[in-house]
Amino acid sequence: MPVGVQGQSVNDQTGELSGRGHIEIDGLTKTFASDAGDITAIEGIDFDIAPREFVGIVGPSGCGKSTLLRCVGGLIAPSTGEVRIGGEVVTTPDRRIGYVFQKAVLLPWRRVLDNVMLPFEVMRRPTEEDRRKAHEVLEMVGLAEYLQHRPGELSGGMQQRVSVARALAVEPSILLMDEPFGALDAQTRDLMNLELLRIWQESQTTVVFVTHDIGEALFLSDRVMVMSARPGSVQDVIDVDLERPRTFEQVEGDERFWSLRQRIRDQLE
Amino acid sequence: MKRLLKAARSEAWIGRVLVLLSAVVLIVVWHLWARTNSPLVLPEPGPVLSRLIDYVGSGRANPHIWITVQEIVLGFALGGVAGIGLGTLASEFGIARRVIMPYVIITQALPKFALAPILVIWFGFGMTPKVIIAALIAFFPLLENTYLGLTTAPAEMLELFRALRASRWTTLTKCKALHAVPAVFSGLRVALMLALVGAVVAEYVGANKGLGALIIVSQGTLDTELMFVAFVQLTVLGLLLDKLHGLVYRLVMRRLYGSIGAEMRAAGVSV
Repeated sequence: MPVGVQGQSVNDQTGELSGRGHIEIDGLTKTFASDAGDITAIEGIDFDIAPREFVGIVGPSGCGKSTLLRCVGGLIAPSTGEVRIGGEVVTTPDRRIGYVFQKAVLLPWRRVLDNVMLPFEVMRRPTEEDRRKAHEVLEMVGLAEYLQHRPGELSGGMQQRVSVARALAVEPSILLMDEPFGALDAQTRDLMNLELLRIWQESQTTVVFVTHDIGEALFLSDRVMVMSARPGSVQDVIDVDLERPRTFEQVEGDERFWSLRQRIRDQLE
Repeated sequence: MKRLLKAARSEAWIGRVLVLLSAVVLIVVWHLWARTNSPLVLPEPGPVLSRLIDYVGSGRANPHIWITVQEIVLGFALGGVAGIGLGTLASEFGIARRVIMPYVIITQALPKFALAPILVIWFGFGMTPKVIIAALIAFFPLLENTYLGLTTAPAEMLELFRALRASRWTTLTKCKALHAVPAVFSGLRVALMLALVGAVVAEYVGANKGLGALIIVSQGTLDTELMFVAFVQLTVLGLLLDKLHGLVYRLVMRRLYGSIGAEMRAAGVSV
């Protein structure tokens, strides 16, 4: 079932429907105070992300990728500049944005299903429809058999899938992912990447995906933003003109993938 | 994980056996030592045991036990509610913390048993002064542990709740409070033991009933055997209260984390 169509009911309640997935980043700078003086994490970032686009962000560690993502999500306020989502300036977190962090961040005392129900419970008294939706997304990530398990009983990959399901449950118009599969082994990560693409194509949400893995960014994204070392700024934007749906065999057999990979690599040197 | 759990289980059994063995050794040492002393100074375990059986069996112990238990439970409940309540306030509101903490430090700096005489003057020889002392002394570990438990929820969990735009209340009840459960229970355990100590010592100052009063009476009559009977009763009471605490704690943890998850947490196996 296409999540985007279902998503209208949630979006209607909050007033806005069209263009919700449109992200405009305008002159974004974030400075943190520290004992050693102010540290500028990101500086003068201008970037536009279209609705339903899949954008990857790569850059050297400490270049402010996560800071950028947190500004987009309204978790931290920018020092100067602004982020607009659907034309509105972001000032606070937004329930129409789904987050997937590097850690799964599941509540260990809640069963899998209850973890996915959490966003609903925070919003309102959960309805039957919410429960059905939670079942649906858990099925989508292949965990229909594990509804009553506790996070501690699941592998790292399964925990991260629960976290993806939790983010998808409320049918977000934007999914912000901060190195979501960074802690997983290569095999599980490949699987998760394929699944993510499938889910994204079904749901039609905008995805912003931070990673330190160039190959992963290229495999997933429509465009890849390459950030410079601190203070992070946009060093390059790469259009990934590889056909979809993508498979590893097809992408890795494609000359364009390797030349793009080399191009990013050269810039991160 | 299974292997670690198994290791923890067999370790628990070895622990039980060792405790039993060392208890036997201690009683034998007591017995041998007592034989070199006058029963006025140190009675032997055998006579203490028969006196205990007689004292409890005849029902004469009941009023004393009952009074002390009531003082402990009431003091523990009062101190517990105050400790958890103020600890929660202090953790949620900076201003509450700033106002509460100086008073808390003052009540802790003042030796609470020093208050017992004035409390007896104010409230008489009944249960009230003992309950107050027990509550005052049980209060602090709960305040501390509640505060600690509520303020140590993982940053990424709190960020999740912020991203979901959860209210302060929702974050407290659905995240922080549940995270704080083990810390609060370890505070409850200390508080329970301290409430017992508080009640008994307060009885020393002025009481006509209670196990502490019994100790003072037996001191006055040089009935050392009876004093030891009271010691044994207090020890058993303390152990039972601790067992009860452990039982409730395990039930709560099992409810939260499932039986395997709770057992692993108890064994310190990381999950």
